[in-house]
Amino acid sequence: MEIKQTALAGTLESSDIQIMLSKGTDGIKINLDSEVKKQFGAEINAVITSVLQKFEITNANVKAVDKGALDCVIKARTIAAVQRALGTTDKPAWEVL
Amino acid sequence: MAENTERLRRTMMFVPGNNPAMVKDAGIYGADSIMFDLEDAVSLSEKDAARTLIYEALTTVDYGDAELVVRINGLDTPYYENDIKAMVKAKVDVIRLPKTESADMIHTLENLVVAAEKQFGIEVGTIHLMAAIESAKGVLNAPEIAAASERMIGVALSAEDYTTDMKTHRYPDGAELEFARNMVLHAARAAGIAAFDTVFTNMDDPDGFYRETEHIHQLGFDGKSLVNPRQIEMVNKVYEPTQKEIATAKNVITAIAAAKAKGSGVIAMNGQMVDRPVVLRAQRVMRLAKASHLLDEEGNYIEK
Amino acid sequence: MPSVVTLNLQDNQTFQDWQAFLTSLGITNFQTNELTTIDLTLGIYDEAAKLVATGSIAGNVLKYIGVCNKYTEKGTYFNTIVSELMNQLAQQGVFHYFVFTKPEYAQSFEHVGFHQLAGTEFGALLETGDTNVTTYVQSIPKIPHQSQKTVAGIVMNANPFTLGHRYLVATAAKANDLVYVFVVNNDVSLFSTAERLKLVQEGTKDLPNVQVVNGADYMVSYATFPAYFLPTPDAAIKYQTTLDARIFKHQIAPGLNIRKRYLGSEPLSRTTNIYNQTLTKELPPEIQVVVIPRLTGSAHQVITATQVRQAILAGQLAAIETSVPPTTFTFIKSNFKILQQRIQKGMNIDGN
Repeated sequence: MEIKQTALAGTLESSDIQIMLSKGTDGIKINLDSEVKKQFGAEINAVITSVLQKFEITNANVKAVDKGALDCVIKARTIAAVQRALGTTDKPAWEVL
Repeated sequence: MAENTERLRRTMMFVPGNNPAMVKDAGIYGADSIMFDLEDAVSLSEKDAARTLIYEALTTVDYGDAELVVRINGLDTPYYENDIKAMVKAKVDVIRLPKTESADMIHTLENLVVAAEKQFGIEVGTIHLMAAIESAKGVLNAPEIAAASERMIGVALSAEDYTTDMKTHRYPDGAELEFARNMVLHAARAAGIAAFDTVFTNMDDPDGFYRETEHIHQLGFDGKSLVNPRQIEMVNKVYEPTQKEIATAKNVITAIAAAKAKGSGVIAMNGQMVDRPVVLRAQRVMRLAKASHLLDEEGNYIEK
Repeated sequence: MPSVVTLNLQDNQTFQDWQAFLTSLGITNFQTNELTTIDLTLGIYDEAAKLVATGSIAGNVLKYIGVCNKYTEKGTYFNTIVSELMNQLAQQGVFHYFVFTKPEYAQSFEHVGFHQLAGTEFGALLETGDTNVTTYVQSIPKIPHQSQKTVAGIVMNANPFTLGHRYLVATAAKANDLVYVFVVNNDVSLFSTAERLKLVQEGTKDLPNVQVVNGADYMVSYATFPAYFLPTPDAAIKYQTTLDARIFKHQIAPGLNIRKRYLGSEPLSRTTNIYNQTLTKELPPEIQVVVIPRLTGSAHQVITATQVRQAILAGQLAAIETSVPPTTFTFIKSNFKILQQRIQKGMNIDGN
């Protein structure tokens, strides 16, 4: 799937993660800011990547600012960002949830 | 009426549906029910994100024994059908319909729930329903609403919209809510389901909160909707049974056990026959006592 | 939990509370030209109805961010306000954000994903979003072996492109292998950005080593350098031009191997004059500043775009013809009515 427009989801509040998803040309590039990047950076990136793969998105730039989000929050915010970027928020991707 | 009507529902804590910190921690305060709100607490631009967040939380976070409720967006919104589908797929315990005014609204909801259960391969009948009553029409139709479906587990009065509809507002003595409270409560009792009282939002008035909670406890409500976890302990305190109530209840329970041991269908205590309402009350008192941590492992009363 | 609300600064009482709150935090610049650019202001009130946090949006710039952390875990309100401002802009399709802030708050923004573009003792400029200065520099066309070539840069609004501009570009083109002409990106000039870009491109078509580029948000941006477009006291001009010069020096020039910046001498505009002084102070030694004296017209008058705009208003086509290249003249002639209408509708022509 091709990203139509840049999209933002999530917030900078505690336990949340802000995901900005935009068009990319060179695979999935994730730029992560997190106070726990050393310990959990790879895991956070893996959660984001797996959601993008389920949507069959192969090229995307992701700017993520993590404020201590659980995996389920990371997943939820990435899904919201993808659906906004694809312009399909009114048609939830049930198979991805 | 749904089968588990007898669970304790003293406290139903509201949790804003798009706030990960509050969603994550919702289980740690010991609320009997947790109500994740996709409606008023979520701005229009965040409806999609909140739905997804609650779906993911429901399917991954451990909320212990709490009953999990989601207030979906109303029938007249574009979010209604997707909210239902997502919450059915998440196998939430209860879907709460806001602004319910008729049994038909519950039927419409139920049909969509059935369709979603089939779509996602969930046994039909799994998801329970409850209705929030927020208008004069809803109050007058409370009996048909409460009895509208086998899936119904409760009705709740929502006073903010209701008082606006009645051209009044909330007063400290609650006189403006008396009729609605009694209607909703009677509708619930007649249908054999739970009755929830409305929220009390002024956190700086604990006396007022206790006064209102004692009042609805006296009327017979199962419990109260809450906006702040600090209120949970306060409600539980009001609902705590007395030592004397517990002693009586224990005698009834002992009598039941004795009758069972004898293989007798007749329960007798102090030479009197114990009838069903007394048994039910005793069981409820014992559940409350346990939930209030007033009994030790052997069932002995703990002095506080 | 306190929620975020929109503040109506048109309401006198709200404005005074807001101003008093920011003043108590050391934010004291409430000049009209700063305030008029504000599109939206948000706030958080505590349980006692006291303002405890605020932030505003002007275009894609976050402004007037003020937070009282006395009663909360550090950063809670700050993160709430900043993310709500970003969400509001995202709903309008804006995904590239800037912030001007005091140096001591720069770190708070870095904690929420912002990247510092330039700093001075008075303030810092940071950005975040789906594009940034790195992707911008990457997107600019380059020539083979550019790192071994002499490369110059010129920044101009070209509102419109005159013979004076043309002379500056041609002079630079003669002395360098490659000249980048960055056209200022803004919506407040008589000629739109697309029109100005087109006129510069057409007016330099015969110069093969000139590359015309949209200056985007990094060169004399209306958002980050409002003093270029609006009357502003000298101190603010100095601060804004210093940031602009440092962005050029540290973020733009290195990736393009720009070693020289060409300027036209500025006898007439106070703001541009200060800008030139700042560039001369900030850019060397890494970047040499070359000042080219203004071309004078037939009547020994310096040629300026301001005069061209005034001539449009006055309907003096003949006076314009002697000041601009044929390409610009053709455009003005065929759009004469439209341009005059823009001025009549209130487009300011006296600035830059």
